[in-house]
Amino acid sequence: MATATSIQNASTAGSGMQARNLMRRIVGLPWRAVNWFGGSAERHWKNIAAAIIQVCANKSRSILTTLGIIIAVTSTITVVSFVQGFGSYVTDMLRGFGTNMVFVLPSSPGGMQGRMLGRVVMDIEDIKAVGSQCDKVRRISPMMFSNVTVEYGHEKVERVELQGATEQFQTIRNFYVDEGRFYGPIDVDNGAYVCALGREVLKELGADESIVGDYVYLDEHRFKVLGLLEKKGAVFGDSQDRLVLIPHSTGIKMFPFLSRFLPFVLEVTSEEDVEEATLQLTQVLRARHNIQPGQPNDFRILRQDELLRDFEQVQMVATSVLTGIVGISLIVGGVGIMNIMLVSVTERTREIGLRKSIGGRRRDILAQFLTEAVVLSTLGGIVGTVLGYSICYVASLHPSMVEVTVPVWVVAVALGFSAGVGVIFGIIPAFKAAILHPIDALRHE
Amino acid sequence: MIASSTKPGDALIELVDLEKIYRVGTELVHALRGVSVSIRENEYVAIMGPSGSGKSTMMNILGCLDVPTAGKYMLRGRDVSTLSQSRLARIRGRQIGFVFQTFELLPRTTALKNVELPLMYAQVSRKKQRAMTALQRVGLEDRATHRPNQLSGGQKQRVAIARALAQTPDIILADEPTGNLDSKTGEEIMAIFDSLHSEGQTIIIVTHEEEIAARCRRVIRLHDGRIATDNIVSRPKPATQYATVTAQ
Repeated sequence: MATATSIQNASTAGSGMQARNLMRRIVGLPWRAVNWFGGSAERHWKNIAAAIIQVCANKSRSILTTLGIIIAVTSTITVVSFVQGFGSYVTDMLRGFGTNMVFVLPSSPGGMQGRMLGRVVMDIEDIKAVGSQCDKVRRISPMMFSNVTVEYGHEKVERVELQGATEQFQTIRNFYVDEGRFYGPIDVDNGAYVCALGREVLKELGADESIVGDYVYLDEHRFKVLGLLEKKGAVFGDSQDRLVLIPHSTGIKMFPFLSRFLPFVLEVTSEEDVEEATLQLTQVLRARHNIQPGQPNDFRILRQDELLRDFEQVQMVATSVLTGIVGISLIVGGVGIMNIMLVSVTERTREIGLRKSIGGRRRDILAQFLTEAVVLSTLGGIVGTVLGYSICYVASLHPSMVEVTVPVWVVAVALGFSAGVGVIFGIIPAFKAAILHPIDALRHE
Repeated sequence: MIASSTKPGDALIELVDLEKIYRVGTELVHALRGVSVSIRENEYVAIMGPSGSGKSTMMNILGCLDVPTAGKYMLRGRDVSTLSQSRLARIRGRQIGFVFQTFELLPRTTALKNVELPLMYAQVSRKKQRAMTALQRVGLEDRATHRPNQLSGGQKQRVAIARALAQTPDIILADEPTGNLDSKTGEEIMAIFDSLHSEGQTIIIVTHEEEIAARCRRVIRLHDGRIATDNIVSRPKPATQYATVTAQ
């Protein structure tokens, strides 16, 4: 009986111990992992120092090996920075218009349904209705577009963009007169022959600020110049300053057929109300145009915030596609590193044998060669970053170039990826070194 | 029962019916066919034999670079013939000091750093101090910052001996330590081994040179994977007068 109990005791004790051992193993696993990377920090530093010595000992070889990584990182940084640079330029410009701006233009929907709607009409009465019935609309102005010839004295400039709008235009578009004055509501009501000129037109006419108060001819009509618009700059070479602004009422007198086809621009009370305002104006316009439920709108609504969002999406796609393409070169660079590490392992087989014979474990050898690959690829990454920075800096110096700044995240990603490439492509050679048999390694010729 | 330390005079190394079979291609090579040897602390042993006799294999097993196919290897009372790779590496690092024919120093690395290497793997403290002490024992403290290419062959081998000594190992295993040196330098190296022996160090030298074997206190001759003779030399004669004993 006593023996039976003691055996039972022993067996439960044994299984208890086993369970405890298992628990210790499971609990200890993360700790062991940490220990394996961080516990022997000094040895890691030794490995890094040794790797740098090794890299410096074969300077030209190291440079050639890391060339792939250098090129990959340089091009990644340059491409991403350029895309970001152009992107933020366009975004800033779109934001400059105000994100609570909505643009509405008459437009016939395609296909059968479009034809059933008949002629598309949008006149000044529609615009007035939207302005008075939609409480989320703060300001509204028709927008009339055409091309005119501008004459001043003997100078003549052709195909200048003519825009007709109310006096509200300035505030809605964030586009102000900085010399003279803009026309007022009375000019608009009267259909006065007054205008504001863009700076580019002024330049092409060879005139200076003294033109304010003088008269110019727009398509044979005599206009008084009331003011000059501030300089806006160019978007991709297309100047925003090559423009003449007149009251839309005057414009309709010049081009009567445009009165039934008037786009308009409006400013919503706040950014959050854009959605609401869009609904309101849709309702008003559909009612006025007698559009039945189920029929499509006979106008299009362009929202500044949607435009911005679309653009940012395009920019993101462009960034990731370009980064992806350039990222392939990082893989090529990694293969170069793997190649040279394999050569290095073969060359240093005896060293590996020696290290093993004096106490180096497999993991020590693995860590040593892995560190070397990572150091090599990270150095390539650093050189590539410096080169990428320099290229962006030099490019920014060019006057007609947008400002290219290197985002911090792209540097972090580039360095992280190059180190990652070192790990991925260094693991095979390092493993090869680690599993070498010490005797064979020592006998290697 | 694992004894971590043994009294002097007890067996430090105990080989029991050691066998080693290699596979070379499709052929099986019987390198060791039942070797039983007992080596006590502070012995000064030469292992000799013609090529193919199994002396290299025996050396590899003694140095824990390889494990036997059959038989037992007890090192300080602990069976090391069944240990894992990483435990063997640990034993190599702490209990065995290798000296190779071709020195095997790391190029572009100072003598001191070379001597520190086993200490780094063993993760011990005061590495520099210990390495310096080891260099002093071989009389090279003034060459500590020299790189191998700035050292003569004899100096290189002395650095290698210092490296083997750095961890105060149980055994020094030297594989043809004078094979790449001229006779005068070889003599210097052997003098170091002699003095280490007199200080209590256990030394095993694998060699085919009779002059070297003649300085040892015990000569084990192998032939075809078996021990042919195992002579204790109580009073070693000067090398020139040593009569060649043929393995019969």
